[in-house]
Amino acid sequence: MESIRGRLTLWYATALILSLAVFAVVLYFARRSASYQDLDRRIQSEADLTAGILAESYRARGILVEPDTAGRPVLIGEVAAVLEVVPDYLVLTSRDGRLLFASPDARALTFAEFERLTALVARTPPGGSRVPGQHNLRPNGPTLHYVIREIPQAGGQFGALFAGADTRSAELGLQQLVSTILVAFVIGLVPAVLVGRWLAGRALEPVDHMITEVREITDGRTLHRRLAVPMVKDELARLAETLNQMMTRLERSFAALRRFTADASHELKTPLTVVRAGVERAITRPDVPQETLAALEETLQEVNRMTELLDSLLTLARADEGRAELHREPVDLRAIVAEAGETGDLLADHAGVAIEIRTPPQPVVLAVDRSRVRQLILNLIENAVKYTPRGGNVSVRLGGDNGQVVLTVADSGIGIAPGDLPHIFDRFWRADSARTRTGERPGAGLGLAISKWIAEAHGGAIEVQSRPGRGTTFTVTFPRGDA
Amino acid sequence: MKILVVEDDKTVGEYVRRGLDEAGYHAELVGDGDQGLRLATGGHFDLLVLDLRLPKLSGIEVLRTLRDRGNGLPVLVLTAQDAVDFKVQALRMGADDYVTKPFAFEELLARVEALGRRPKSITPPVLKVADLALDTGSRAVTRGGRAIELTPKEYAVLEYLMRHQGRVMSRTLITEYAWDYHFDPGTNIVDVVITRLRKKIDHGREPKLIHTVRGVGYVVRP
Repeated sequence: MESIRGRLTLWYATALILSLAVFAVVLYFARRSASYQDLDRRIQSEADLTAGILAESYRARGILVEPDTAGRPVLIGEVAAVLEVVPDYLVLTSRDGRLLFASPDARALTFAEFERLTALVARTPPGGSRVPGQHNLRPNGPTLHYVIREIPQAGGQFGALFAGADTRSAELGLQQLVSTILVAFVIGLVPAVLVGRWLAGRALEPVDHMITEVREITDGRTLHRRLAVPMVKDELARLAETLNQMMTRLERSFAALRRFTADASHELKTPLTVVRAGVERAITRPDVPQETLAALEETLQEVNRMTELLDSLLTLARADEGRAELHREPVDLRAIVAEAGETGDLLADHAGVAIEIRTPPQPVVLAVDRSRVRQLILNLIENAVKYTPRGGNVSVRLGGDNGQVVLTVADSGIGIAPGDLPHIFDRFWRADSARTRTGERPGAGLGLAISKWIAEAHGGAIEVQSRPGRGTTFTVTFPRGDA
Repeated sequence: MKILVVEDDKTVGEYVRRGLDEAGYHAELVGDGDQGLRLATGGHFDLLVLDLRLPKLSGIEVLRTLRDRGNGLPVLVLTAQDAVDFKVQALRMGADDYVTKPFAFEELLARVEALGRRPKSITPPVLKVADLALDTGSRAVTRGGRAIELTPKEYAVLEYLMRHQGRVMSRTLITEYAWDYHFDPGTNIVDVVITRLRKKIDHGREPKLIHTVRGVGYVVRP
């Protein structure tokens, strides 16, 4: 179950089923016990009735047993006719164990079953069993509840009186009960689960609401928003308050960062401007000795390097805040690639690396921030050239389909160790300095971090594949839908 | 052409003022927004170079007040913020262009030139050094009458050197000019361009026109 709501519903349904089941089981056994008591009362009263009839008949007639045509003793016809109407199983034996009478139900039994029934009667010790017993006339016969008793009031003509009833009549009622319970279960469970789901949803509604609200707070610009705290001081109110406190702290640190980036821009760039102005004035004067010129040129380079580093830092700081905006306009990416390609060609020439640039014949127009995308492409090309040894090659390819534009920059360079791959887009991350060409100053390690930001700010993505010693391929994708 | 520079940092302001003076403009410098607005509305200036962070009245406010009063004076904004939204805001407020600090003076000058609509005749359309000619209008380059094909970067580097012929131009300045002022390739990429230019321009010809100044840069002279 993915949501708390689902889990709550599941738990609710399980609890409901369990309590219903307990209720049903208790009901079943209570009902069963009552049914069997009824059954036992019935056979007791049948036994009483039969004994009464026999006692009465004995007082009226005296002899109740007579031989039949075959000479076997049987109950006299008139009494037998009266007993015929007593339901269930009724068996009467003589003192020497001969069968005197069997009721219609008993006569309907198979021979084997009947034998077992009479054996049961014969086994009974004198005095009978007043407590009802149970006997199963297996394999297919009915299970009987029965009592066996003597009939002393009949002048000792009878051995035992067996009165029994099929438990099926009690079970039949129980089966009906079970099916009723099952139907009630199914009919009751579905709405109960639905109600449970609704209740869980209602209880969690404020949480859903909170999730939506928090989700809308995406960056520095929406951080001033706060969650509505419910009037009732329950768990949800405390959660909302806690989240609000957290956002206040976040907002404060964001504000501090924003102040810092604005101040840093001004406070660091103004002195840089002053240094630059001085150097530029000096370096463009006609009569400067060459030695001084060289020193000035170096200073100028450092100023530029610092400016670039500062710009990169500020760009990333603003990107974190969500304030770094793009100035998008429809551009044919082929033009940017061609322009960056010329620079790439120069860089490759300098490094003794072959470069190949391929663009499709038809325009690839996309709404992008021209200078940012150029920066991205240049970063990748520069990187590829930097890590490719003399004699290697770099290939830049622009392509894609209807859904997206794909730019790949592949090189046959030294590659990136698998352990380093996850870190290359991290800020200030640099591979072992041994990797760079000797004599070259390593960069600040912000180029790829900025490239990643540029790709993602355009709704795109950047990926890298690399094999040490074989080369590296960077793939940038831009969605066309954003154009 | 008279230019008003409003910049609170004295060194930067003075540098801009003097640089503009040297380039043949008449520039005046004031240090706060109040004064800047007063002078700008006086009608004595043809262009306003405006820093955005100023004491008393911020650059944005000066700009807004100026435009609210219907004053169409061309305004070039100087800003330390390189954020696009900030630039867009300045442009929306009615600025005509902007330069990001720290700027190359060449860039500032180029933008001032464009805004001032200075007659093109001041910079001759065709630059010449010995028998090498470069037409800034058609971007055609010839040596001894023979046309030479150049790539955009080669053209930019040559144009820059020819504009400043006889003066040693540093690699950094050349790179900034040819690469839109915002690219630091970290390697001496200019050297590669120069090698290619030499092949196309100086190879097999006399006199050699492109000269190396060790540790500094290059100069074009006969």
